[in-house]
Amino acid sequence: MKKRHSLRLTHEVWQVLAGGVLLGAGILSEHLGAPAPAVLAVYLVALAVSGCTVWLDALRGILRRDLLDEKFLMTVASVGAFIIGSYAEGVAVMLFFLAGEYFEHQAVARSRKSIRGLMDLCPDRAIRLSGEIEEEIDADDLSAGDRIVIRPGDRVPADCTVLDGTALIDVASLTGEPLPVEASPGSSLSSGTVCQNGRLIARVDRPAETSAAARVLSLVEDANEAKSRQENFITRFSRVYTPSVVLAAVLLGVGVPLILLWSGHAPGWTDWLHRALTFLVVSCPCALVISVPLSFFGGIGGAASEGILFKGGNRMNALSRVKTVCCDKTGTLTEGKFEVREVTPAAGIDRDHLVAVAASAERNSTHPIAAAIRALAPDAPSPASVEERAGRGIVADVDGRRVLAGSKKLLLEEGVLVPDDAVGSVFVAEDGKWIGCFTVGDAIRPESRDTVERLRKLGVKRVGMLTGDAPENAKPVAEALSLDFARASLLPDDKYQAVGDLIAEKNGAVLYVGDGINDAPVIALADIGVAMGGVGSDAAIEAADLVVMSDKLDRLPKAIRIARRTVAIARQNIVFALAVKLAILVLSATGINSSMWLAVFADVGVAVLAILNAMRALRVKKL
Amino acid sequence: MKTKYSVSGLDCPNCAAKLEGMLGKTEGIASAKINFLSEKLTVESELPADELLAAVRKTAQAFSSKVKIDLL
Repeated sequence: MKKRHSLRLTHEVWQVLAGGVLLGAGILSEHLGAPAPAVLAVYLVALAVSGCTVWLDALRGILRRDLLDEKFLMTVASVGAFIIGSYAEGVAVMLFFLAGEYFEHQAVARSRKSIRGLMDLCPDRAIRLSGEIEEEIDADDLSAGDRIVIRPGDRVPADCTVLDGTALIDVASLTGEPLPVEASPGSSLSSGTVCQNGRLIARVDRPAETSAAARVLSLVEDANEAKSRQENFITRFSRVYTPSVVLAAVLLGVGVPLILLWSGHAPGWTDWLHRALTFLVVSCPCALVISVPLSFFGGIGGAASEGILFKGGNRMNALSRVKTVCCDKTGTLTEGKFEVREVTPAAGIDRDHLVAVAASAERNSTHPIAAAIRALAPDAPSPASVEERAGRGIVADVDGRRVLAGSKKLLLEEGVLVPDDAVGSVFVAEDGKWIGCFTVGDAIRPESRDTVERLRKLGVKRVGMLTGDAPENAKPVAEALSLDFARASLLPDDKYQAVGDLIAEKNGAVLYVGDGINDAPVIALADIGVAMGGVGSDAAIEAADLVVMSDKLDRLPKAIRIARRTVAIARQNIVFALAVKLAILVLSATGINSSMWLAVFADVGVAVLAILNAMRALRVKKL
Repeated sequence: MKTKYSVSGLDCPNCAAKLEGMLGKTEGIASAKINFLSEKLTVESELPADELLAAVRKTAQAFSSKVKIDLL
């Protein structure tokens, strides 16, 4: 089938070339003063060569009573030109129309190909282990539970869990994340990522058709269903445009001469018909109808290659106008992992001693804060015994000394004296004496500050935080990132209310970004809901307007830039194409310049330039 | 029941919309949707698969000989 396709295209090229040569011959013979019938004969052959395929389609149009079919209108324009004696123009109309169509096909095919290339995440083949035997099978035939081998350089064929081996995994094609991640037994791998160095044995979790990569693909393909404002405008416009221009052409070519005749003037049939035929030449809104959807197709495809999945062109419109950004805190602005901010030893106590004692006491605790303290002294020995006090902390035996580590309340209850002005998250006492405290916080993600700044530079007026966490944990984050607002201790319902209030202010579009685990309703409510961290939760994907495959907030400014540029390209195409068409209509209606040469040249030229412009939308790497 | 086909050989989104309209009016087809850029046709119909494909192809042929419809 592919072969036939390219054959048809070469045949189109030959058709254009032959038509061009014949047209040249016609013009030349006319200038050299060849006899009129000979000149006409050459032109007629030129017209037949360049028009034959168009006429066939025009005939089909007539059969289904579609008199506004572009091919029929082009046929009328070129045949009409012959009737009024403008042979060369008649051939030119057909020839340029044909060349323009050829170019449009090529451009659209190329865009399709590059977008499919971006989306070509799923490998065709996989290596399955049957016992100890490796067999190469179709990736589609994998089922959950199969064991597979992934070699260096292989694309992961299905979502799976590593059983054996370690390797660096390149996830850029899926998430846009440039740094590879390490995989070892127990790690989950997404299909479409690439094993860089190392051989892995893994167990398939999901068959290929429900894998992460397949879902990304279907999300992007369905994205074209939700049309942008510009696409809707073009659809409405083209419904009106062609009938109006054709009607105007009839009035101009028949109506005006009749009025002139009736009012006693010379009708000037040829001139008015000529102007009318020029109208027909620009009656197809093709340039717009192809280039505007193509811009969004390219923008959505390009964004997908950066791990940003738009659920439709209309989401690009909304995102390009965002004025308020609300972020979830934990896991979005912050790592969701605790770290020690400050170690405050009591007077006369050595810092290292405090750390060593606390790290030993917390050695076996599962609390996330304990892990942060342990990280300061990874080699601290285990305590001889340990007792957890729920919600308070722990009491441990470290080298025969009784160590308390926990809230201030725990120490006070145990009769330890703690100064009133001591501030911290974890207080430590040794043998009944306070020895210091630790301030523990959730680490701010390294890219958060930069992202907030970039969002401001992009014209976002307010960047804020909505978190379920306590105010004392939220405040330092808000201050460090100099956020415009921060609301803490919010239950999921409160977050919903908070976003609803922001939308009700009608102060520009409101964006909410969260991990989608328990905030799907908030994501759905926001003008633009963003789910971060991939295609994990179905509820979040369903609710979100935008899915970001990585968990990095820096995708957000990038998404805004892609959206803005895509919308800008679509607008440029609309303005440019309409301006040129309008200019031709005015020039030919007034008779200033009703050359069909100019009209067909400008019309095809606009289509070509608009399509080339639309193809820029695909290139998003440097944005 | 919804069936997806690949559709190639369409000239422009205008033509896609026209074919879409013709398919929508075809006997036995409840609705038809063509995505020009991803070259996909989604048809809603209760016809058996082979009859549906034949009906879709017949309508497409009447529209243009260049249009090719295939099962995905």
